[in-house]
Amino acid sequence: MPAILEVQDLRVSYTAGREVLKGINFTVDADDFLAIIGPSGSGKSTLIRCVNRLVEPSGGQILFEGRDLLKLGESKMRAERRNIGMIFQEFNLIERLSVIDNVLTGRLGYTGTWRSLFRAFSKDDIRNAVRLLDRVGLIEHLDKRADQLSGGQRQRVGIARALIQNPKMLLVDEPTSSLDPKIAREVMTLIREIAREFNVPVLCNIHDVDLALEFCSRVIGLQEGTKRFDGPPSEIDKHVLADIYSMEVL
Amino acid sequence: MAALADLSRYDRHVERIAVWRNRSRRMRYATYFIITVLIAWSIEAIVVGDTDWSRISWASMLKSASQFMSVDLSIVGSLMEPALETALMATLGTLVGLVLAVPVAWLGAMNISPLGRATYTLGRGLMTLSRSVHEVVWALIFVAAVGLGALAGVLAMGIRSIGFISKTVAEAIEDVNPGPVEAMRAVGASRFQILLFGIVPQVVPVFIGNVIFEWDVNIRRSTIMGLVGAGGLGLALHRQMAAYNYGGIATVLLVILLLIVAGEIISYYARRAVI
Repeated sequence: MPAILEVQDLRVSYTAGREVLKGINFTVDADDFLAIIGPSGSGKSTLIRCVNRLVEPSGGQILFEGRDLLKLGESKMRAERRNIGMIFQEFNLIERLSVIDNVLTGRLGYTGTWRSLFRAFSKDDIRNAVRLLDRVGLIEHLDKRADQLSGGQRQRVGIARALIQNPKMLLVDEPTSSLDPKIAREVMTLIREIAREFNVPVLCNIHDVDLALEFCSRVIGLQEGTKRFDGPPSEIDKHVLADIYSMEVL
Repeated sequence: MAALADLSRYDRHVERIAVWRNRSRRMRYATYFIITVLIAWSIEAIVVGDTDWSRISWASMLKSASQFMSVDLSIVGSLMEPALETALMATLGTLVGLVLAVPVAWLGAMNISPLGRATYTLGRGLMTLSRSVHEVVWALIFVAAVGLGALAGVLAMGIRSIGFISKTVAEAIEDVNPGPVEAMRAVGASRFQILLFGIVPQVVPVFIGNVIFEWDVNIRRSTIMGLVGAGGLGLALHRQMAAYNYGGIATVLLVILLLIVAGEIISYYARRAVI
């Protein structure tokens, strides 16, 4: 399997002299479901946001299908973002828009300025949005406003919004932290299913180690901006966890 | 004993704070004194010296009150058209204001201002200019520019309305939830699309609410536009005053009152319907 994403010596510092990520290396293969685990403040969220440059790295390389994203100008980077779907912890839906319109915003990268002004998305896009909402089980809620949905339903809208981009990779940022354990499991199951169905690799940061071990094919452990572990879930035991979380795990 | 010794380490701070308190108390009394003197001096200078006290008596006050009491209903018919004009001026003025407020709010919101500090300062400057000049002064300017009539009033209120609407909207933009903006960036949206989907839906309620409020205020403003020749009921008021027809003045004031109450009722329901 060729690597779809290759991150080399990635560095980020928000304030000069204090690095949040201190030279991270890893690859994401085309069939990976890769989890990033680590304690709060270890740089998980920053790492995932560097990939689509919501956070600007201060050094290193991010090769996406061989192209270095850090060398791209604004408009080229926007074109690349269309290929990278993102799912957020707080869902980041546009509360006052309907469910279907929220999904359709996933097509903005392909929609011209005038068309977006009148929300004149193409018929194909609308059909696709409805199909995806059906897939995630929200076909009955198409016209509801996003703020009328429950947490689990909102995350499903977020998933549909990412899928309608036809992404070549999914970035998933703590998809379950705002959800209760049962719904969290359902959402993770859904993400795993769609990753297979749509044949997209997933880079997912998640603080719940059990969920990571259950759903992911590979795990990266971060601590204070450095990589402490990279391997399959089967290699993770309590010594590894103790090292990543720098504490005794009972 | 050790504890006592430890506490004494703070004496330096306690001392400093206490001295500062004393000094500030003295400052406060001095300030009260200066303010009292200033108020007394202002009353002496502008009221006591400048008023023709010999003209004021209980009789004179009763007389003017009774003159206003005799409402002149004969002119009510001739007030209908100016009343309608007043309401339309306020509406058109608000529309001008809301359209112009959009780009000003865009410039004046720090987080989205296109060229950063420079355009932000420009936007904030326009807001201040709009708000710091009184609507009657704007009306005088536009009467000079486009001549007598309702157009001058519409433009004056339009320009005067920019400030409030754009300022509140710009502040709402600065306070938006960043989540949707981040999501729109992540899907590859352009700057304009991010505005349209990440920010606009979040500030629309603020925008509409304040436009309705500004319309309500503009009804009030447009009743006096006529005093400087910019159309509406103000002109009728001016005519009655010029003729010393106190009953007529009272009638015009009553019509203005009715119009304002109507405006208030409409804006109450409009606000409830929208938000």
